[in-house]
Amino acid sequence: MTSAVTIPRHGGTGGRTAVAARARQVVKAYGSGETRVVALDHVDVDIARGQFTAIMGPSGSGKSTLMHCLAGLDTVSSGQIYLDETEITGLKDKKLTQLRRDRIGFIFQAFNLLPTLNAIENITLPMDIAGRKPDREWMDRVVTTVGLADRLRHRPTQLSGGQQQRVAVARALAARPEIIFGDEPTGNLDSRAGAEVLGFLRRSVDELGQTIVMVTHDPVAASYADRVLYLADGRIVDEMQQPTAEQVLDRMKDFDARGRTS
Amino acid sequence: MTVLKTSLRNFLAHKGRMALSAIAVLLSVAFVCGTLVFTDTMNTTFDKLFAATSSDVTVSAKSASDTGETTSDNGRPPVMPASVVATVRGADGVARAEGTVFSTSVTVVDSQKDNLSPKSGAPTIVGSWNGNDARTMKITSGTAPHGSSQVMVDADTADKHHLKLGDEIDVISAVGTHTARISGIATFTVTNPGAAIFYLDTRTAQETLVGRTGVYTNVNVTAAKGVTDPQLKRNVSAAIGGTYKVQTAKETADANQKDVEGFLNVMKYAMLGFAGVAFLVGIFLIINTFSMLVAQRTREIGLMRAIGSSRKQVNRSVLTEALLLGVTGSILGVGAGVGIAVGLMKLMGQMGMHLSTDDLTVAWTTPVVGLVLGVVVTILAAYLPARRAGKISPMAALRDAGAPADARAGRIRAAVGLLLTAGGGFALYLASAAAKATGGSLWLGLGVVLSLLGFVVVGPLLAGGVVRVLGTVVLRVFGPVGRMAERNALRNPRRTGATGAALMIGLALVACLSVVGSSMVASATDQLDKTVGTDFIIQNDGGQPLVPQAVKAVKDTPGLKRVTEYKSTTADYTTPDGKTLKDTDITAADPTYAIDLRTKTVAGRLKDAYLPNSMSVHDKFAKAHDIHLGSKIKVAFKDGGTAELTVRAITSSDGLIDQGAKYTSIATLARYVPADKMPLDELVFASAKDGQQDTAYKALKSALHDYPQYTVRDQTDYKQALKDQIGQLLNMIYGLLALAIIVAILGVVNTLALSVVERTREIGLMRAIGLSRRQLRRMIRLESVVIALFGALLGLGLGMAWGATAQQLLALEGLKVLEIPWSTIVSVFIGSAFVGLFAALVPAFRAGRMNVLNAIATE
Repeated sequence: MTSAVTIPRHGGTGGRTAVAARARQVVKAYGSGETRVVALDHVDVDIARGQFTAIMGPSGSGKSTLMHCLAGLDTVSSGQIYLDETEITGLKDKKLTQLRRDRIGFIFQAFNLLPTLNAIENITLPMDIAGRKPDREWMDRVVTTVGLADRLRHRPTQLSGGQQQRVAVARALAARPEIIFGDEPTGNLDSRAGAEVLGFLRRSVDELGQTIVMVTHDPVAASYADRVLYLADGRIVDEMQQPTAEQVLDRMKDFDARGRTS
Repeated sequence: MTVLKTSLRNFLAHKGRMALSAIAVLLSVAFVCGTLVFTDTMNTTFDKLFAATSSDVTVSAKSASDTGETTSDNGRPPVMPASVVATVRGADGVARAEGTVFSTSVTVVDSQKDNLSPKSGAPTIVGSWNGNDARTMKITSGTAPHGSSQVMVDADTADKHHLKLGDEIDVISAVGTHTARISGIATFTVTNPGAAIFYLDTRTAQETLVGRTGVYTNVNVTAAKGVTDPQLKRNVSAAIGGTYKVQTAKETADANQKDVEGFLNVMKYAMLGFAGVAFLVGIFLIINTFSMLVAQRTREIGLMRAIGSSRKQVNRSVLTEALLLGVTGSILGVGAGVGIAVGLMKLMGQMGMHLSTDDLTVAWTTPVVGLVLGVVVTILAAYLPARRAGKISPMAALRDAGAPADARAGRIRAAVGLLLTAGGGFALYLASAAAKATGGSLWLGLGVVLSLLGFVVVGPLLAGGVVRVLGTVVLRVFGPVGRMAERNALRNPRRTGATGAALMIGLALVACLSVVGSSMVASATDQLDKTVGTDFIIQNDGGQPLVPQAVKAVKDTPGLKRVTEYKSTTADYTTPDGKTLKDTDITAADPTYAIDLRTKTVAGRLKDAYLPNSMSVHDKFAKAHDIHLGSKIKVAFKDGGTAELTVRAITSSDGLIDQGAKYTSIATLARYVPADKMPLDELVFASAKDGQQDTAYKALKSALHDYPQYTVRDQTDYKQALKDQIGQLLNMIYGLLALAIIVAILGVVNTLALSVVERTREIGLMRAIGLSRRQLRRMIRLESVVIALFGALLGLGLGMAWGATAQQLLALEGLKVLEIPWSTIVSVFIGSAFVGLFAALVPAFRAGRMNVLNAIATE
C-alpha cells in the first residue's frame, strides 16, 4: 500500500510511471434534482510526468473545478483521482492536507503570499509547516533561477505583482512537489511580467523536470505548455500537443463559433 | 433616511460580529441594574419588616440607640423600672402598654456548645415573648415559653441547626449562663432578614439578661382607636417626662432603615464601582469592534464617499449602528439585571437571609439609568472609529484593502502616551514621598488615572516590543506556527493594544490590591513579631465583648503566667489647650499590657501610665493638644465620674496595632465607673509559664469550650487569621473584578473572531499549501495567548507599581513592609495564558472548519 505521505521526491520521471496524476470517470455535481449542475461530467485525464499541461476552456467549463479536484482541494461526486499511485479521492482532511503539503505545489491567481512573512519565509512556508529543513543547495538554485536573490527579505507589499508571483512559483518549487498546480497564475499580471513568470515555469519543466498543470484562458499563456486540454461543459473536448498562441487562439475561436451555432 | 437604512442593514448583516459587543454592554448594564434592583429590594424588605415589627410608640432608656438595639459596653441592656409601664398605661390615648426585655449582647449555644448565632453578621436577639412580636410571628409548633426552663426559637434558626422541641440550649450573657429547653418554634410571617431570635418569658428574660426583675428595656405602646402615633408620642412623653426616649413606629422604622441603608449604600456603591470598571473595559471592546468593522468596510465606505455621501453621513451611519447596539445591549441588560438581582436574593437565602421575590422592586429609574448608561457609553466608544470612518477617502474604493499606517499618528500617540505615563509616574512618586496621607492619596489617585491612560495610549506601541519578547520566550517553541502567531499579533498593534488594555485594567486592579493586601499581612505580622509579648489572644471575631464567666475561665486555666484584660470605653476630654473632645476613645488595661504589647514611647515609660490616676497619649494627639509629660487631662468617663489624669507616657503612633490608643489602667477606670457600668473585656491576653506553651494552649481551648463565641489564638494562629481575613476580602474583590475580566475575555474573543474573518483568504491559502487544521487552530490560540499575556504583563506591572506606591503612602499609617505576592502575580500571569487559550476556543474552531475553496474564493 502506498502511503499518501511520502518523502518528497525530485520532479521528473525518475524511473516511475510516466503519469503524475490521473482522473478516472470523475463527476462533480452541485445541488440535486432540478437544480443539479454538473461541473465535471465523467472526465478521464492523464497528466504526464515532467510535462507542462495547460487546461483551457470558457468560463463555467469546469476547468478550475478539474484542477481543484486533481489537487485535492475539492471532493468529487464520483470517480477516482490518483496522484502517482495514491488514490486521493476519499482521503480524510488530515491526509489530504499532508498530501498537499508534501507532494503538491500551488500558484494562485492572486493572494499567494502571507503579508506578514517576507519573501524567503513565504518560500519556505510549506516546509516550515511540515517541520522540515529546506535543502540549501536546491533553495539557492530555485531562488537564483527565479531571480529574487536580492529581494528575499522584502515583504509582499514591497514587491511588484510579477515579483510576488515569482515568489509564489519559487514557493511551489521549493518543496520539490511531484506536481504544481497553477490557477491562472498570470491572470493579474501585465504581459511582460506574465511572460517572465511563464518563462520561468517553462524552464522549471525543462531544466528541473517539474510537472506543472495550469488553468488559463489566455492563449499566449497556453502556448508555453507542452500540451493543452480543452474543456467544455464539464468534458474534455479536445487536446493539442506543442501548441502555439495562434493555434490556440484559432481553436478557441472555433469553439466559440460552435458554441454560438449549436 | 438612507443613512438609517444602511446602518440598520449593516447592523443586521454583522449581527454576529456585534453579538460580543452587545454582550459586553449587556453584562455591564445588567450588573448596574442588578445592583440597583437588589438593593432596592433589600430596602423594601427591611421597610416592610420594620414597619411590621415596630409598635405604635416605643419607650426605651435614654441611652438606648434609636434603632432599638440594646447593646452596651457592660453587656447589659439599659433598662427602666417597671413603674414606667404603669405610668405609660395611664397616659391619654394608650390602648395597651407592654414592657419587654431584649438584649443583643448574648450568645446562644446548643447542647454540643455549638454557636447558634448567624454567621452572616445578623444579630442574635434574646428577649421576652410579647404581644408586639406575636403580631409578626406565629407559633408553629410547641408553646410559648413559660417558666425559667423554657425557650422558644425562630423557625429559620431551628431549621438551620436542626433544633427540635425539647432540645437544651444555653443563653450566655454578661449576667451568666442560663440553660433552657425548647418549648416552641415560631415562624416569621414577614421576611426574616437572618437574625436568630430566642424568646423567654418576661421574668426569665429579666433575670437572664439584666440580672434582676422589675425592669424593662422597652415599653411597646399601642394607640387607642383614633389616636395617631405622633399624638400618642406627645401624650406618653408628657406622662413620663424627658428621662426616656419615646419614638413613633415611623421614627423607629426610619432609624432602622437608615442603619440598613448605610450598609446597603456601601454595598451598592462598591458594586457600582465594579460595574464601572466593567464599562471601562467594555469601551475597549466596542472601540475595537467598530474599528475592525470600519476597516473591513473601507472599500464599501470609499464607494459611498465616491458616489457622494458626505463625511458626516458616513460618520452618522456608524454612530447609528452604535446606537442600535447600545439600545439592544441595554434593553437585554436591564432584563438580565433583574435576573441577577433574583440570583443574588437566592444566594442571600443560602446564606440565611430569606428574601421574598414578592418584594422585588424595580424602580422606574433603574431601566432608565441602565439604558442611558449603556447607550451613552456605546456611542462614546464608537465615536473614534466613526470619525475614522468619516475620514476614509473616496480613493479607498479603488485601492486594495489595507491603508498604510499613519506614521504621524504613531508619533503623536507615542508623545501623548509617554507624557501621560511620565505624569502618572511623577504623581505616583509624589504620592510615595508624601508626608501626609491625605495629600498623598490625591497624588496616588491622579497617578493611577494618568498612568492607566498613558498605558492605554502607549499600549499599541508597546505591543511591538512586548509581543516580540513574549514571542521569543513563549512562541519560538512552537516553530513556524508560533512565528506566524507572533506576526499576526503584531500585524495591527492598535488592535492588539486595545484588546490587551481591556485585560490590563482588570489585572492591574488585581495586582494592586494583592500587593496592598499582602503588604498589610506582612506589616502586621512584622509588627506582631516585634511588639507582641503575649502568647495567646482571646476575642470574639464579631467584636462582642467577653462575658465575665469566660474571663474567669481563662484566669482559672492552669499553666498561665499572666492574664491581661483589655477594655475600651469613651470619655469627654478636656485638654491643656482648653478644648473639649467629646466621645473620645480611651483604653483601659491591666498594667501587664505594657509587656504584652511593647508600644514604643517617645517620652516617659509606658508602665507609668498604669499608675493610679495616670494615662498615656500618642504623639500626634500630644502635639495637637499641647500635652507634655506631667500634663493633666480632665476625663469624664461615659457612665461614670470625671477624673483628672496625669500624662505619664507619650507613645509613638507608628505601627498598626492599637494605633493612636490612649491607655490607662483598669484600676483607674474602676475608681470612676461604678462596677455595674464597667465595660466588659474586649480582649484578653494570656501568657504561658515558660516551657508550658503547648499545654497551656490546649488547656485554654478546653476552658473556653463552653464559650464557642470566643477564639483563642496563639501568635501563629493569629497571623493566619489575619491573613485569612484579608485573603477573604481580596477574594471577594477578585470575584467582583471577574466581571471586568470576563468582558475583557469577550474582547479577546471578539478581536480573534473578527481577525479570522478578515484573514479568510490567508487562512485558505495556508490550508491549501498544507497547514493542517490543528496547526491552524494552534496558530490562533497562540496569537490569543500572546495578546492575553501582553495585557497581563502591562496590567500586572502597572498594578504592582500602584500597589507599591499605595504601600509607601500607607507606611505613614503603619504599613511599613512592602510585600509583593509573587505567587499570586505569577499565577495570574500563567492564568491569563489560559484565558487566552479559552478565548481562542471558538474562533479557532471556526477557522478550522472553514472550507478551503470558499476561503480562497472570498473577495
